[in-house]
Amino acid sequence: MILIKSLRWWLIGIAVMCIMPLFVSGGVLRLCIMANFMVIFAVSWDMMSGYTGYVSFGHPFLIGLAGYVTAILSDQGGFQALHIVLPLHITLPLGVAAAVGAGMLFFMPSMRVRGPYFSMVSLAFLMIINILMIAIRPDITGGDRGLSGLPAVVTGLVPNYYLSLGLMFAVAIGLWYVGRSDVGKIIVAIRMDEDVVEASGISTYKFKRFAFILSALTAGIGGVFYTHYLGSISPGGAFSTAFLWDIIISSTVGGMGTIVGPMFGGYFLTFILEYLRPYLFGTWRFFTYSVVALFLIVYRPRGFYGIAQDIMNRFRRRRIGGEVYG
Amino acid sequence: MAKLLEVQGLTKRFGGLVAINDLSFYVEEGEVLGLMGPNGAGKTTVFSIIMGDYRADSGEVFFKGKDITNLPTYQRVRMGIARTYQVPRPFKEMTIFEDVRIGSMAPGIIKCLTGKAAAHDAVVRKILEDVGLKERLSMYPDELTMGDLRRAELARALAINPKLLLLDEIFAGLTVAEIEEIDKLLRRKIEEGLNFIVVSHDLKALAPLVDRVVVIHFGQLIAEGSFDQIIKNEKVKAAYFG
Repeated sequence: MILIKSLRWWLIGIAVMCIMPLFVSGGVLRLCIMANFMVIFAVSWDMMSGYTGYVSFGHPFLIGLAGYVTAILSDQGGFQALHIVLPLHITLPLGVAAAVGAGMLFFMPSMRVRGPYFSMVSLAFLMIINILMIAIRPDITGGDRGLSGLPAVVTGLVPNYYLSLGLMFAVAIGLWYVGRSDVGKIIVAIRMDEDVVEASGISTYKFKRFAFILSALTAGIGGVFYTHYLGSISPGGAFSTAFLWDIIISSTVGGMGTIVGPMFGGYFLTFILEYLRPYLFGTWRFFTYSVVALFLIVYRPRGFYGIAQDIMNRFRRRRIGGEVYG
Repeated sequence: MAKLLEVQGLTKRFGGLVAINDLSFYVEEGEVLGLMGPNGAGKTTVFSIIMGDYRADSGEVFFKGKDITNLPTYQRVRMGIARTYQVPRPFKEMTIFEDVRIGSMAPGIIKCLTGKAAAHDAVVRKILEDVGLKERLSMYPDELTMGDLRRAELARALAINPKLLLLDEIFAGLTVAEIEEIDKLLRRKIEEGLNFIVVSHDLKALAPLVDRVVVIHFGQLIAEGSFDQIIKNEKVKAAYFG
């Protein structure tokens, strides 16, 4: 019953977003597409880091790898010289599989270390792949300049909007369902005290692995479609710390460990960066939003979602006049 | 009577410090064992080794006749061993009800996804009622007294449905009335067939509860016997009073 009630809010959200193209300009719609992808990356990072508390700095590694695999294998990709060009319906799943596979291969062993050690290992992966994509076989990866002229999955602004919207809601609702299930509760408990969860008869490694695979899978899905939407990929964009920072800020400002929070955070970040453009130039824009983000993280660590929740709880308590749970 | 738990020749070093030194003892089926010793004797370390939080440098741990020395913690728990902590460790952002529910969850991911992992909510409520927290289900740890936190900790351990429960200073910081309540609950659980190893500095509370006591000092066994025998033991007196 509670699930159906909550789904009702999702349906309202989907309905509102679906009619957006009727009311907004092309420029805003383009921003919405970027925001939809940012949301996918933010919620996927949230599943890994916000829920389990294992803060990953390697998320763009998964996104970029998925993007590179589909880019290299598709038309205009690095294998064209070898006459290997695969259709998108094959390259897209291969890109996603690469993200999941590489994630398991490289990150899983590092999940045996905790806290900052995990974060540093994940950051190392990001740095390494950045170098590798530039240095190893630039004839395939496009080197420093990357690959461009990649085929689009769909053409036109409105179809791309609906594609990104569909992906965003599919990923977000899927992760939201996991988050509110007992799996989510265990993963959150792991963040709070891993030893006690283990002492409750639960294999924390198994649940962390599940969260990580989900995170890699959704990062991969976002990565392949984003790459084809942009039509290009380069190490400077895919593996940059600025991209990593955007993902983390979206999630933390929205509210880590909530899925819904990072959705809001993704939109907030994308739009604020754009609308600050006329007032603040270049790096000042990034400086300003970074300061705002830091302020929020320090003083409101539960983000906008936490603020909204506090306000709702205040109203609810006033209405019920006492205890909420029974 | 069959041995439920047996530790043989346990040794644990932390750097140059020998915390546990060639320690052996057992718990029989249907028995409540008291584990005593002055501060720093190594009682909590013994619990941590039994649970698998620490790996012993040498020695073995057997449970229901099976060697569990190298099993991870969660597998030992699934076999039927649970513990409480000397300093309660609640999940800070969870209500007491949610916290205890974690203890009742089955380990499978599919079951967890479909909502069939936790024991029926009514079972969790019953356990919380048993430990006297019926009125505090929706409260968070920072709203509870130390007594309530200890009871919540006990409830989470009971939700696992263990065969052997390791209680670490369960009476510490409780009022006399609270101790009596916990004591009553433990007696009821003993009658239901639950076995305990109890660590407590509160000898008054410990005495009527335990069938047998093992005393350790600097990680070594110094005495073993009934509570009355133990308190008259010269080595025990020397360990406690110098």
